[in-house]
Amino acid sequence: MAQFRLQGSRVLAVDLTGDSVKAKNGAMVAYEGEMTFKKKTGGGEGLRGMVTRRLTGEQMAVMEVKGHGTCYFADRASEINLVSLHGEKLYVESSNLLCTDSALRTGASFTGLRGSAQGNGLFTTTVEGTGQAALVSAGTAIVLRVTPQTPLQVDPGAYLAHTGGLKQHFQTGVNFRALIGESGGESFQIRFEGDGLVYVQPSERNTIGGEL
Amino acid sequence: MPFTMLTSRMVEAQVLPGQTLFSQRGAMLAYRGDVRFTPSITGGQRGVRGMIGRRIADEDTPLMTVEGQGTVMFGHGGHHVQVIDLAGDTLYVESDRLLAFDGSLRQGTMFLGSQGGVMGMVRGQVTGQGLFTTTLEGHGSAAVMAHGGVLELPIGPGRPVHVDPQAYVAHRGDVRNKLSTAIGWREMVGRGSGEAFQLELSGTGMVYVQASEEKL
Repeated sequence: MAQFRLQGSRVLAVDLTGDSVKAKNGAMVAYEGEMTFKKKTGGGEGLRGMVTRRLTGEQMAVMEVKGHGTCYFADRASEINLVSLHGEKLYVESSNLLCTDSALRTGASFTGLRGSAQGNGLFTTTVEGTGQAALVSAGTAIVLRVTPQTPLQVDPGAYLAHTGGLKQHFQTGVNFRALIGESGGESFQIRFEGDGLVYVQPSERNTIGGEL
Repeated sequence: MPFTMLTSRMVEAQVLPGQTLFSQRGAMLAYRGDVRFTPSITGGQRGVRGMIGRRIADEDTPLMTVEGQGTVMFGHGGHHVQVIDLAGDTLYVESDRLLAFDGSLRQGTMFLGSQGGVMGMVRGQVTGQGLFTTTLEGHGSAAVMAHGGVLELPIGPGRPVHVDPQAYVAHRGDVRNKLSTAIGWREMVGRGSGEAFQLELSGTGMVYVQASEEKL
């Protein structure tokens, strides 16, 4: 099992003992020991994952890093957040996924609405199994709990990832929008209902929703 | 050691009578006390040989001399600052990354193309940095700029470190550098042209790596 450590908040150190991790292409900044790098297409498992990716454009350039030693990853000075998965499924924007333990299965999942948030079609990346993953965010991410009594609205541009049994759907804030005047992405929100966790970054991506 | 970090992007320097400090021109943010700033025509370098070296190497970042008594705050472009204390060893760093440094440090330029043979010659094209680099040697401190935070990785005998050239900031000590290719690295489609090579640093010392592939 690869060991994930944070060196400061912007560098991820991964200790490998003959095992491997999948990482964003070009995110390696340094390594000690013996490492090999292999290009992977997609990041989804098997042909079906590939096909959905081909269709949706939810394309991730991924490399597999295997070896003995320590590999350091960073992505344009973005903050890095570690997520430990214990059998559950993490839904994440592919551009925010920095590195995953190879023991984790990655794929694409139909969400139907994330498209307007990212322009990535109607799919988002899923990471499932037991092991660690590292997400990059603009600014330090916060984790918000959603319970059946406390649903949550998130700006699509600030959404990073979520886990648990959550239903999501788009809603428009008409009053909100009239209030803002400048459509700064707040005219749409994603509403999460159910039981789970949502990761939010303190910054907004440019989204198609925000352009409307 | 005159430098104190104020934030991750700002550093404060103590200026004492009879001691000179060099800084990148325009990097002064604020100062207290009786401090004089004069443009350093010789690029901070003493002696003609250094100047010629600089002229050829194009390693001449305009510097200013800071003298007097007081405290000066430095920062530039919102870049992260890393203070490196030298105790008789040599620091190798691109001159445009130098925010400020002690006048007590001996400056020079070094031709890196000679290291690693033909591959070394590629360095300039790969890193976008010249084949020459600035050296600072002696006892004193330097404040170096980086994009994102800085990671210090020790280099020891039998423990070489491989660095993405675009993330390389500086190194110190008795270190050989050569460009190498990792297995499988060549056919990777990377972000930049530099992805096909890695800088392999071996010997005894320390390498400073930034948390980003962005240039300053």
